[in-house]
Amino acid sequence: MKNMTQTETNQRRRTVFFLIVAVMILAAVTAAGILTEGCAVETDFSRRNLSPSLQHLFGTDWMGRDMLARTLSGLSLSIRIGILTAAVSAAAALLLGTASVVLGRKADAVISWCIDLVMGIPHILLVMLISLACGRGFTGVVAGVALSHWPSLARVIRGELIQLRQAPYILVAERMGVSKLQNVRRHMLPHLLPQFLTGLILLFPHAILHESSVTFLGFGLSSEQPAIGVILSESMQYLTTGKWWLALFPGLALVLVVALFALLGERVRRLLDPSSAHE
Amino acid sequence: MRKRWIPLLLVLAMTASVLAGCQGGNSEKQSAVQQRMADSSVVIAMDPNSEPEAGFDPAYGWGAGEHVHEPLIQSTLLVTNTDLTIGYDLATDYTVSEDGLTWTVTIRDDVKFTDGEPLTAEDVAFTYNTVKESSSVNDFTMLDYAEAIDETTAVFHMTRPFSIWPYTMAIVGIVPEHAYDSASYGSNPIGSGRYILKQWDRGQQVILEANPDYYGEAPQMKQVTILFMEEDAAFLAAQAGEVDLAYTSATYSDQEIDGYELAAYASVDNRGFNLPAVEESTDSESRTVGNDFTSDVLVRRAVNIGIDRQEMIDNVLNGYGSPAYSVCDRLPWYNEASEVEYDPEGAAALLDEAGWTMGDDGVREKDGVKAELNLLYSTGDSVRQALAADFADQLGELGISCSLEGVGWDTAYDRALSDPLIWGWGAHTPMELYNIYHTIEGTGSAQYSPYSNSTVDSYMDQALASNDLEESYKLWQQAQWDGTTGVTQDGDIPWVWLVNIDHLYWVRDGLNVAEQKIHPHGHGWSIVNNVDQWSWKG
Repeated sequence: MKNMTQTETNQRRRTVFFLIVAVMILAAVTAAGILTEGCAVETDFSRRNLSPSLQHLFGTDWMGRDMLARTLSGLSLSIRIGILTAAVSAAAALLLGTASVVLGRKADAVISWCIDLVMGIPHILLVMLISLACGRGFTGVVAGVALSHWPSLARVIRGELIQLRQAPYILVAERMGVSKLQNVRRHMLPHLLPQFLTGLILLFPHAILHESSVTFLGFGLSSEQPAIGVILSESMQYLTTGKWWLALFPGLALVLVVALFALLGERVRRLLDPSSAHE
Repeated sequence: MRKRWIPLLLVLAMTASVLAGCQGGNSEKQSAVQQRMADSSVVIAMDPNSEPEAGFDPAYGWGAGEHVHEPLIQSTLLVTNTDLTIGYDLATDYTVSEDGLTWTVTIRDDVKFTDGEPLTAEDVAFTYNTVKESSSVNDFTMLDYAEAIDETTAVFHMTRPFSIWPYTMAIVGIVPEHAYDSASYGSNPIGSGRYILKQWDRGQQVILEANPDYYGEAPQMKQVTILFMEEDAAFLAAQAGEVDLAYTSATYSDQEIDGYELAAYASVDNRGFNLPAVEESTDSESRTVGNDFTSDVLVRRAVNIGIDRQEMIDNVLNGYGSPAYSVCDRLPWYNEASEVEYDPEGAAALLDEAGWTMGDDGVREKDGVKAELNLLYSTGDSVRQALAADFADQLGELGISCSLEGVGWDTAYDRALSDPLIWGWGAHTPMELYNIYHTIEGTGSAQYSPYSNSTVDSYMDQALASNDLEESYKLWQQAQWDGTTGVTQDGDIPWVWLVNIDHLYWVRDGLNVAEQKIHPHGHGWSIVNNVDQWSWKG
């Protein structure tokens, strides 16, 4: 018995420890990226196309820009855009999910239809269209990603709330005269928190990947900005001449950050979900 | 979007084939090359943008579009020689009336279209009237109408004198009146030129075959296959030995391919920045026009001599380029007074004289305003981006702080009215000087960058009104610099020219590429202007 408790705490502790480390890494990358932004756009033609070395860990590109600085500021930009868009998306999802339950059948039908509509269009296409319509650049990408990523979370929230509505304690509360809105606020939302938080964190990897891919395809951030998508699309024309470092390190770094966010979401879910919280 | 995958797929395919280690494939390629040598046939990789979207119809830009080249399938009245003076093709003689409003051209009587019908002055008149009516890519407003006087004499009636009309006559391919249908001609052209279009697979390749009845010297190269591929695919195709000549760029110039040589051809394919020459204001369409910093002529002069062009060529173009001092370097209408020496001290002195004094942070100031420029480049063009970055670095040393911004062509033209944009020009006609520097009636400013000088305008107007081509060259030169005013360093310098980009190609050993004219802007069909004179050695 004693042994059991020990592993339990260890597991939990380990998870919390992992969370802290992951968040710190991501925060460090973000901060480092902001600090190196100046270096990332600084060109120095005397050090063009250098392969990775101690001075330039990730090498340099055809204008002599340091790829480590570029990768860091690219990731940082991606993470910041990710945070912004994930927050906007999650807020929209929460609002619409709740509205569809609270405002009655007709509202539900309309919102469900909207969810189906947005989900019916391929994500990347929608992001491209919105980004183009908003004039590309930072605004375009943020609008594109934010306005296209809410439906899946909204659908989850809506489903969860519909289920909750039929729960005995909610029905009782309703009978006792608690207003709908209050019911939602006091009884339903706290119940929803784990799903919402997990959903929010799991939006990050999507948002970041979509930001990079839409930029890679030339519909996103402008090419003078050090974004991962820009870095990868620039590296394309140098790959055939054997400059592998231009794509490899930034690509790997992007995958790592995305994986980190995905793991983070998974751990948070385990920590908050009652059915697995005590594993 | 899909195009980006093509190189990746190619890389995969290449790796797979290399891993498979197919020795047989190599010898097959060898024999394919030998076969081509025996048949006088050549395979060329060209950039996908070179594929004429509307087909091989001169009325829709073939040969006479944005990028000028010889139409190959059709003959032209005149041609440009290697030194860019005018020579004869179909025409045997041409004259212009005293007032410059009537051009009379006599043509050969022994020319047949490839369908056997003779080419007459009627066809010439028909072609020009058609082109005037339907050309969306070229300006033919100076032509009123063309008519045939007899079988071999065509007359052009102009709306205004246009002395450089021969340069237009050198690019418009003559189409047959009896077999021209604007809907189908583009994909099924009949001409009288050196080659016949044998096959065109849209998006892939064009196969040209020598015209057996050609009236001139018979083409040495009997078959020309042109493959359209992206730059990296072209490089891989050369590496795999699949093409005999492949276009490439400075990015690849440090590479080596077995059995190929890197050939560099001089061009007037120039890159330069426009420097808005008026103060900032807002025009009737609520666009920002002008730039307070570059509106000072001393600033523009400082920029022009403060740029080390050779360093730029070494840095960005791997040495494959030449300094540019005008939009028309080395062409017959170029004024050598445009040339300047790199002089950083002189540039600094000019800036001091203009009141822009060095601040503590290394950025010049005047009345509390920082010397700042926002430089624009077209997104996706790595060479222009690198040139802009190098330009920014060099201006930084002069104490002008620059930021870079990538823009798409949808907004670039409007943005360039107030911010310097890096442009690419270079054509085989002095008209380009007119397009860049001449004031547009009604707006009081030149087309692409705010600037106006009535003396420069009047030289160019005189040049166009002249009825002697040689004479007009001098006037074009005077428009650039007449001793007191112009568009050069000592004049208004509303554009600063940086480099002419050499056009680079991988050429298979043994392929004899005939002497090239100075290439114009556009890395496409220019190379095959004289493909009929190419040959295989041995």
